[in-house]
Amino acid sequence: MLFWVIAAILTLGASLAVLLPLAAGAKGASSSGDHDLEVYRDQLSELDRDAGRGLIQPAEAAEARAEIARRILRLDNADTAGKASARQASVTARLVATVAVLAVPLVSWGVYSQIGSPDLPAQPLSQRLAKNPADSSVDELVARAEAHLAANPSDGRGWDVLAPVYLRMQRFSDAVAAYRNAIRLDGDSAVRQAGLGEAIAGAAGGIVSADAQDAFEAALKLDPANAKASFYLAMALAQEGRNKDATTAWQAMLGTLPPDSPWRSAVEQALAKSANPEVASGAAAKGPDAADIDAASSMSPQDREAMINTMVAALDEKLRQNPRDAEGWMRLVRSYVVLGKADQAREALGRAIAVFGPGSDEAKKFTALAASLGLTATE
Amino acid sequence: MTRKQKRLSVIVGGLAFLGAATGLTFYALGQKASYFYMPADLTTASVQPGQRIRLGGLVEKGTIQRGQGATVAFSVTDTHKSVKVTYTGILPDLFREEQGVITEGSFGPGGVFVADSVLAKHDERYMPKEVADGLKAKGVWQESKSE
Amino acid sequence: MVETGHFALVLAFALSLVQTIVPLFGARLDNQRLMAVGGPVAVTGFALTALSFVALASAYANSDFSVASVWENSHSLQPMIYKITGTWGNHEGSMLLWVLILTFFGALVAAFGSNLPATLRANVLAVQGAIGAAFFLFILATSNPFIRLNPAPIEGRDLNPVLQDLGLAIHPPLLYLGYVGFSICFSFSVAALIEGRIDASWARWVRPWTLVAWMFLTGGIAMGSYWAYYELGWGGFWFWDPVENASFMPWLAGTALLHSAIVMEKRSALKIWTLLLAILTFSLSLLGTFLVRSGVLTSVHAFATDPARGVFILCILTLFIGGSLALFALRASRLTAGGLFHPISREGALVLNNLFLTTATATVLVGTLYPLALEALTGDKISVGAPFFDLTFGPLMLPLLVLVPFGPLLAWKRGDVIAASQRLMAAFATALAAMLVTGLFIDGASVFAALGIGLAVWLVAGALTDLAVKSGVGSVAPSVMLRRFAGLPRSVFGTALAHLGLGLTLLGIVATLSFGTEKILTMRAGETVELSGHTLRFVGLYPAQGPNYSEDRGRFELIGVSGSPVGEISSAKRFYPVRQTTTTESGIKTLGLSQLYISLGDEAKDGSVVVRLWWKPLVTLIWGGGLVMMAGAAMSLMDRRLRVGAPSRRRKQASAEAPAVLP
Repeated sequence: MLFWVIAAILTLGASLAVLLPLAAGAKGASSSGDHDLEVYRDQLSELDRDAGRGLIQPAEAAEARAEIARRILRLDNADTAGKASARQASVTARLVATVAVLAVPLVSWGVYSQIGSPDLPAQPLSQRLAKNPADSSVDELVARAEAHLAANPSDGRGWDVLAPVYLRMQRFSDAVAAYRNAIRLDGDSAVRQAGLGEAIAGAAGGIVSADAQDAFEAALKLDPANAKASFYLAMALAQEGRNKDATTAWQAMLGTLPPDSPWRSAVEQALAKSANPEVASGAAAKGPDAADIDAASSMSPQDREAMINTMVAALDEKLRQNPRDAEGWMRLVRSYVVLGKADQAREALGRAIAVFGPGSDEAKKFTALAASLGLTATE
Repeated sequence: MTRKQKRLSVIVGGLAFLGAATGLTFYALGQKASYFYMPADLTTASVQPGQRIRLGGLVEKGTIQRGQGATVAFSVTDTHKSVKVTYTGILPDLFREEQGVITEGSFGPGGVFVADSVLAKHDERYMPKEVADGLKAKGVWQESKSE
Repeated sequence: MVETGHFALVLAFALSLVQTIVPLFGARLDNQRLMAVGGPVAVTGFALTALSFVALASAYANSDFSVASVWENSHSLQPMIYKITGTWGNHEGSMLLWVLILTFFGALVAAFGSNLPATLRANVLAVQGAIGAAFFLFILATSNPFIRLNPAPIEGRDLNPVLQDLGLAIHPPLLYLGYVGFSICFSFSVAALIEGRIDASWARWVRPWTLVAWMFLTGGIAMGSYWAYYELGWGGFWFWDPVENASFMPWLAGTALLHSAIVMEKRSALKIWTLLLAILTFSLSLLGTFLVRSGVLTSVHAFATDPARGVFILCILTLFIGGSLALFALRASRLTAGGLFHPISREGALVLNNLFLTTATATVLVGTLYPLALEALTGDKISVGAPFFDLTFGPLMLPLLVLVPFGPLLAWKRGDVIAASQRLMAAFATALAAMLVTGLFIDGASVFAALGIGLAVWLVAGALTDLAVKSGVGSVAPSVMLRRFAGLPRSVFGTALAHLGLGLTLLGIVATLSFGTEKILTMRAGETVELSGHTLRFVGLYPAQGPNYSEDRGRFELIGVSGSPVGEISSAKRFYPVRQTTTTESGIKTLGLSQLYISLGDEAKDGSVVVRLWWKPLVTLIWGGGLVMMAGAAMSLMDRRLRVGAPSRRRKQASAEAPAVLP
């Protein structure tokens, strides 16, 4: 509302700038001849000054004076000739004036209504961060933590808390930096090293690189029973094409893992895949996400649902932050339908369409998808 | 000299000056402009040793070797052919394996390209335009849709 | 606030349309009221554009990522100064700055132009409005900085690290003040063509505007050169990069305009040529904008490329350059030619200056556009760099520089070369001595170096001679001389300072190119290296954390004669995680007028670091000379004769207090 008031005031001001001169009485204008004469007079006085200072020779000065005098004479002739111009065509003038006065509000409101976003308030970051934490999205909480760490970069515990969150959000390079900071400030630990390795691998698209291997090996040195590190090191073997060695390593893991370990199912899944190499190479390329999903398929139903829910929620968050991702929206809508959450699916569909605009190609795709899933948009 | 002759001589002088400047400009364009090549172009183009050219392409993976002091050797490739390049100096910050690069210099006697300047892309949003165009023409590189 | 800025921008566009049409009709119909609309509309348009700019800047300062351009070019962890300068560190914001300055100059004409003939003023404002309308439309259609994101992302993508520097706060605004300042000269020229006559006050108005624009452009180019010198870490100060050329061409043409406008003001001669030159100078500014903004060229300046923008700017370019030149072709014959002069005279010298400068501009233009044309026509890709310009631009500049000291010493209308030469004898002797000393006593000095130093000293001594002769050194008593010196018109000082600055810049360039030394080596902590008599010890690499980057800072100690450290220099490799970009921060130590320059390379596996060191003698003079040139322009601006004469009804008040008509 305030915006419209300001816009109206600005428009009024701009219109007045056009209107007032048109309404004011015409001042007695001086002809251009007067101006020229003034310039020549000024030139004469300047000449006198220069001559007085001895900057030019008297003979030169006299010559220049004669030249200026000639210009003044020529001016008088031209001026009498030019005085005859008539003041007519006041109809045209009135038309131009009317068009001009109308143009200001019409053009500005017309153009603005096409391109503006009048309902969208300004969102300075400080304001957004000052909101109640309970209302904040994960991203905003992370941003708040980042702001805290930017002010206190030597808070090792802060980095330690933030690092796995980054990992979950798939911000792998941030996770790498956070784990490194945590290790630097709070010292080595198997969990941190293994997390670092996972982050490095994630940043490389799931490939367990030499750097990642170093981190996992460091983790195993600190805690030989660290399952994550063993798992990924075996994955590294598989990625190098040493499937047999990988299988041996995973089988050894199965022997030592406690029966209730969440890694058990992941390892079994990996073993099943390495038995079938075509699938295995594909899974390796997809990285730990694929392993997670596979792990989920062999979890207990409750665990699986909880895991899928977190992943869908993460996707939802990601789309809030980065909304122009048509693929992501389709995945989200489909996920909600599969989870049986029709309301949320519909709501996501509405948001997706809003992002790309109702008439866009993407929106049509969304609607088609929704129709194929048996979902109807509420709007 | 009459006034007419004077004016004529001024005009002739001016034209001669402009003519000389134009001639010099086009002579310099012929002599001093350096052509841009991708490695595969070099098989068809005849480039003399010592002739200054610009060579562009991707830094081939695994070919960066640091020699003595600040001398670096690497290969520039367009995935069809590759050319060995040596360079003494500080590489740009964005010089990396498999990234676009433009080197300027000439071929030494041994067929190794001796570069005296190396340019990498300025930021992560684009490749040097010549390299991108060249790679596109060779069907190696597709424009990413995001930018 | 953001949307208020957006709305103000649209409103400013609407006003620019009114500003184009109404005064133009007013001047045609000789209708005072319609003509009077131009002024208030121009001032209001500027106020609205300023409001819009402030809104955008505050969105940047507050990290409002609901604005797309803020999201793409800012980050919440950036220091505040870079948040604010980031406003114009991107395509959209820099175009907004461009029109802000354009409307600012329009408002100045409106505010201080009350002493101009009414029709001339109306036409000038109309042309200025038309340029504004075209660029407002360009911004709104292809480069709107106020596009919003909903929902807003939580974090931005950071400003290009190369731009995170104080240079960004100074270089673009100065450069744009220069570029856009020439729009006033352009508008005056087109207005004169529309009217079909050139008023006597025309040159008096155009010259100060040329001076203002030229002053800022000089500063902008010098600043840009220094920025590239220390930020890019290559140690060079001028690369003949097409983008640099884009700013250099209007400068050369503007310098020519500056000189021909003197002839026009003093002698009413060269009217048509000056008019054409004013059109060409702004056309080159527009061409520069096109080259940089269209993405035809790729460089640090091409923030992002978008073909639609290129086509749009090309249309603007064609419209204004083509339109003004067509108008020129139609109307130029109507304008009356001015006074006559002898070839050897001040006028003659200034014509010669124009001939050299415009030809030099043309060679730079050819060198910049030829590769583009060739690629478009044949597909061949060539690069035209320093070797081309050394061969073409150099020979054109040499005779001009030799002739510079003669110009101010020649009389108007008919000059005496022999008398002028006699007065320059002392300067010539000084230059010759400098040349001989350089050639004979400095090791490794080439012929080029000796000649270059001699030429630079010639320029400096010539400028001082001009001042000495005009204050009557040697012909009058010392007391009279002092009085005369103090009473010299400011413009005489301006000329001398500008020519002096040119000499200093040349001195810096020649000294740096001829006597500069360079070393590339690998160093370990504790090692020392010697360069041109300076001993440097590498202390070591120290990691550090900045607000939005981490760095490895290499520290060096400058060892004095006694063997103990006398100063410290540090150069750093910075890593900006948001953009995954590394930059090099060069280390510079200024010793007198010279500089030691250190640039850090990669760290090798064994812990040693590649280091590149330069000794750059007198290098600061390159930019210092630019500052002196700016001071000269400022001095000329203060000259009372450039305060435009007002019609007689104002003259009476004016005689009591000097009218400060100009900014």
